[in-house]
Amino acid sequence: MTTHPTRTALRLLFDFVGAIEVFNLSSIDTLNPVSPQAAAITRLFLGVLVILAVIFVLVSGLVVYAIVRYRERPGSSMPRQLAGSRKLEFLWTAVPIGLLATVFVFTAKTMRAANPKKGTRPADLLVVGHQWWWEVKYLKSGVITANEIHLPVGKAVLIQLEAADVIHDFWVPQLGRKIDAIPGHTNYLWLRADRPGVYSGICAEFCGTEHAWMRFEVVVQSPEEFTAWEQAQLKIPQPPSEPEALAGMKLFNELTCVNCHRLAGTRANQTAGPDLTHLAQRRMLAGGAAVNNPQTLAEWLKDPDRIKPGSNMPNFHLSDAQVRALVAYLETTK
Amino acid sequence: MYSKAKLAMALFIASEASFFALLIVAYVFYHGQPQNGPNAADSLDIPTTTFYSLCLFSSSATLWLSERNLRRGQYDRVIAWLVATIGLGAIFLYGQGREYLRLFHNDVTISRNLFGTTFFTLTGFHGLHVLVGLCALAVVAGLVLRGLVRERQAEAVEAVGMYWHFVDAVWVVIFGIVYLGSLV
Amino acid sequence: MKGHEFTEGIAGLVGERERVGWFSHEGLLGWVASVDHKQVGLMYIVAAFVFFGLGGIEALLMRIQLAVPNNHFLSPETFNALFTMHGTTMIFFVAMPLLTGFTVYLVPLMIGARDVAFPRLNAMSFWLTLFAGLMLYFSFFAGGAPSAGWFSYTPLSEAAFSLRSGQDYWILSLIVAGIGTVAGAINIIVTVVTLRAEGMTMKRLPLFVWMNFVNAFLMLFALPVLNAALVMLLIDRQLHAHFFTPASGGSALLWQHYFWAFGHPEVYIVILPAFGMISEIIPVFSRKPIFGYEFVAASTVAIAFLSFTVWAHHMFAVGLGHIANLFFAVASMSIAVPTGVKIFNWTATMYGGQLRFTTAMKFAVAFIVMFTIGGLSGVSFAVVPIDWQLTDTYYLVAHMHYVLFGGTVLASFAGIYYWFPKFSGRLLSERLGSWHFWLTFVGLNLTFFIQHILGMMGMPRRVFTYPALPYWAAFNMLSTIGAFVLLIAMLVFLYNVVMSLRYGETAGDNPWDAWTLEWATTSPPPVENFVRIPPIHGRRPLWDLAHPELADELGKVDA
Ligand code: HEA
Ligand code: HEA
Ligand code: HEC
Ligand code: CUA
Ligand SMILES: [Cu+2]
Repeated sequence: MTTHPTRTALRLLFDFVGAIEVFNLSSIDTLNPVSPQAAAITRLFLGVLVILAVIFVLVSGLVVYAIVRYRERPGSSMPRQLAGSRKLEFLWTAVPIGLLATVFVFTAKTMRAANPKKGTRPADLLVVGHQWWWEVKYLKSGVITANEIHLPVGKAVLIQLEAADVIHDFWVPQLGRKIDAIPGHTNYLWLRADRPGVYSGICAEFCGTEHAWMRFEVVVQSPEEFTAWEQAQLKIPQPPSEPEALAGMKLFNELTCVNCHRLAGTRANQTAGPDLTHLAQRRMLAGGAAVNNPQTLAEWLKDPDRIKPGSNMPNFHLSDAQVRALVAYLETTK
Repeated sequence: MYSKAKLAMALFIASEASFFALLIVAYVFYHGQPQNGPNAADSLDIPTTTFYSLCLFSSSATLWLSERNLRRGQYDRVIAWLVATIGLGAIFLYGQGREYLRLFHNDVTISRNLFGTTFFTLTGFHGLHVLVGLCALAVVAGLVLRGLVRERQAEAVEAVGMYWHFVDAVWVVIFGIVYLGSLV
Repeated sequence: MKGHEFTEGIAGLVGERERVGWFSHEGLLGWVASVDHKQVGLMYIVAAFVFFGLGGIEALLMRIQLAVPNNHFLSPETFNALFTMHGTTMIFFVAMPLLTGFTVYLVPLMIGARDVAFPRLNAMSFWLTLFAGLMLYFSFFAGGAPSAGWFSYTPLSEAAFSLRSGQDYWILSLIVAGIGTVAGAINIIVTVVTLRAEGMTMKRLPLFVWMNFVNAFLMLFALPVLNAALVMLLIDRQLHAHFFTPASGGSALLWQHYFWAFGHPEVYIVILPAFGMISEIIPVFSRKPIFGYEFVAASTVAIAFLSFTVWAHHMFAVGLGHIANLFFAVASMSIAVPTGVKIFNWTATMYGGQLRFTTAMKFAVAFIVMFTIGGLSGVSFAVVPIDWQLTDTYYLVAHMHYVLFGGTVLASFAGIYYWFPKFSGRLLSERLGSWHFWLTFVGLNLTFFIQHILGMMGMPRRVFTYPALPYWAAFNMLSTIGAFVLLIAMLVFLYNVVMSLRYGETAGDNPWDAWTLEWATTSPPPVENFVRIPPIHGRRPLWDLAHPELADELGKVDA
């Protein structure tokens, strides 16, 4: 089959455009908002980008034209020594001012849309940034978890944001603005997602060694699923029956784990480390440094530094048997 | 024509003002916040410090007299007033030292709380500047004494004078904010 | 005063024999002991390039680490130290000394002076800067480099979270450098005010001098702000005070206000002299006077004033109120206007001219376009909600490299190609220059353009690694490749400098047929700078001599 060059070119062009399309939809989080707040920002961003692009094309167009048109040619005479023009100066002062004034109006509008007032409403969710994990507390139901936030779809949730040590920053690109979590200074943020799914978030303020692995996930569920999840979280795990897991529970209570962690139903009730009550249900480990499964959990307990070098979880030099027992126990606390 | 030395000193003073402005902002910022432990109102001895402050303020006047005599070429008076200036400055520093000792004795230190932190940093840097000023004045006095400064170099001396007046002016602000401010 | 002039003339003639160039007859000691503004200027420039090599190597190491996801090439601690050192080095020990080098070399020449107002103070400024840089790098051997980022936010940079003494070296180093910078700023202002040659009125100052004059005021007021903040941090760390420690009542945010009250003027401190160079180079290679001299000069003053009113645009994510944010948004957007005035005037200068694309001109024109990209992305940050999304992402890394590399560094290269003949007496190779330029241009865009998209995709800055999300690996790899293209470009440049110093074409006094006073003396200039200063009746003394019939068309500039 012979292909016409035009057709080939067209197909290539189509593929290219198609690729852009797919690429757009799937990968640029900030252009794929799933909340009204984020959508407001995206609209503003695209609008401003267009204005900026026009200015850029104008400036670079003028420069390129000058490069081509006014290149020195042999034998040409001395150019006119024009040293300025008040009219032009006025023009290129006034036009940018006008453009910026317009941009400013939209900026002010969008600020309100993207970051609505909190009012006097109490917060639904307390999120505390720790060096290098997120503590999450549902203030009404009392559910406590870490690095994973569940939300019912379409419902606006007010987050109260704090920090335990240094400044962190809470950011879920597809859900809107980021905001700092600052020690000694409480911030509030509306979070809402209009489509079920899992949206990844990350700490966006440099907070020390493991800033890169201070990721979290927002899991957006139907209201029923959310309620079910919440109920499951509230359940206090029963002591396991299986012997290895039982040994693990004993170990957990004997080792220093209880000094840093919380696990409902045991005497562990600290916040130096993440809550472990329903750890086995969580999707990832150590702020996204690993997916959560029995193998990675074992690796983590064996040597946290191999997964997340520099983390504040000590290496206890546990024996393989101890690790197996602990994993077996933590896996039962569903 | 401009005098290089005086222009340079004016610029240096501008940059110093920028430096002190931040220390003062820090003091005022924390002063406005509730805090535990000692604060300006219950730790500072205002009458005593007023006395020492007056010494510092009057040193500006004696320096001015000294400068005036320099332009007139009356060098023995220049030295006399310079010595007076240095003396008054030294009395001020002595007063500050005593105040620090008293505060330390009452366990008010730079690490005690934010009052201590901001107070000692602000007044400490000012005291350091007074000390530097005293050294500069002493050098000038020495030069005049050995007959190395005559009307023509008056500008260099005036530059040192500007610095001293500035250090005084800073104390006016600090005294006003830290000491008198604690009364209200 | 006649006698004075006479001795000066004689000194000039004697100076003729011992020109001050790269190869001084006095050897190394001559350099160290020198207080000549030309030697001090060159020392600044050379030191800046050495630090550029170090900062560049740090950047390359980071780019290698980031080339692929989940990489283990560097430990997180090392990576954090690298970007801290890279940012600190590039801002304080590359951009600032590089520009200062041009300033102290050229300002006295351009105003027809023999030296700066206080030559010994000038040398002291340089040595303080160099000493500060060495102190910063000494931290590597004294318990580890600082790793809290170039703006060292508290409380992360406090003793409780940054135990290493590297943080203290960082503080001390910047204090020392800051003192040197303030001294240098005072020197430049006094020089411009008191040492201008007969006829060199303020309205006839070359724009490079104007911008450095304004810039000196920025430094004069901004650096003490940094120094005060650093002193407080040091007191916190060493004397257990509480300025910035929330655990004992201090404020985490006060530091941010302080730092950026310095930090934003700082970013203009590292661009105004670059603007100055562009304002000299574009007209010369367009064979026309600068378009809108008064407007280019006045816009500099406007930028300087505005730059002290915008600091909290670095803090939009902090959660200041809407009112505060709006104020800083307006102020930040306003800066685009005077900057735009410059961009348009440079472009207009080219119109109707006869453009000569020497390497210097290529860099200067590329500067206009690249800086515009960086400036425009800066404006997008001034739009608060966009900042809420994109602050602290690679979109920001892209912004700052377009203004710093696409701006400051490109302009400095333009300056090097333009003034190298004056510095050394020899021309740089234009052929190698062309290679250097194109490799830089391609490398720069490859490295940094793609970072805009990475940021929009959600990649935060200062992460030592990242998960294998769609396209992240590919884009980061492209960026890394770009960084290596830049490495090749810089090696070509280095080769060009080394070869041209030895074999380059001799330049003569005025190889570009330029018109400011530095071209009225020999290359390199004698110790005394000028044997005779040509009469100054306008902004372009040498042009007026050569083309008395072709005056500036807005009427002969007189003041
Ligand atoms: C040389 C250095 C330099 C320069 C010149 C600039 C110039 C500008 N910068 Fe940039 N900036 C940095 C270096 C610089 N910046 C650095 C290093 C950081 C990061 C610090 C860190 O966090 O590590 C930063 C960060 C930064 C932020 C904070 C982002 C954040 O942390 O969230 C913001 C926010 O407003 C900003 C804005 C601007 C603006 C509005 C300009 C303006 O001055 C730009 C003006 C220029 C133009 C706009 C182009 C030309 C104009 C026209 C063609 C006219 C028409 C234009 C319009 C009508 C729009 N910059
Ligand atoms: C003038 C300023 C400047 C310059 C020129 C550069 C140049 C470069 N920068 Fe830099 N950068 C900053 C200022 C600058 N940067 C700042 C302020 C930060 C923020 C830091 C922070 O977050 O705290 C930053 C951060 C930063 C990051 C983000 C790190 C992070 O957030 O995790 C990255 C990543 O790609 C990067 C890359 C680069 C690259 C590839 C170059 C390249 O252009 C470098 C090219 C240069 C070379 C390749 C040198 C080669 C030369 C030689 C080898 C010759 C050697 C010999 C001698 C002359 C002696 N930079
Ligand atoms: C010194 C305090 C400390 C002690 C003791 C401690 N931990 Fe941790 N642990 C942490 C911290 C901090 C983290 C979070 C690390 C991170 O992600 O950066 C953590 C994380 C974890 C995680 C991963 C949780 C998640 O959601 O990612 C598990 C599982 C865990 N610890 C189990 C244990 C067990 C079992 C013990 C006892 C053998 C123990 N920890 C002892 C501090 C501690
Ligand atoms: Cu927490 Cu970055
Ligand atoms: Cu800024």
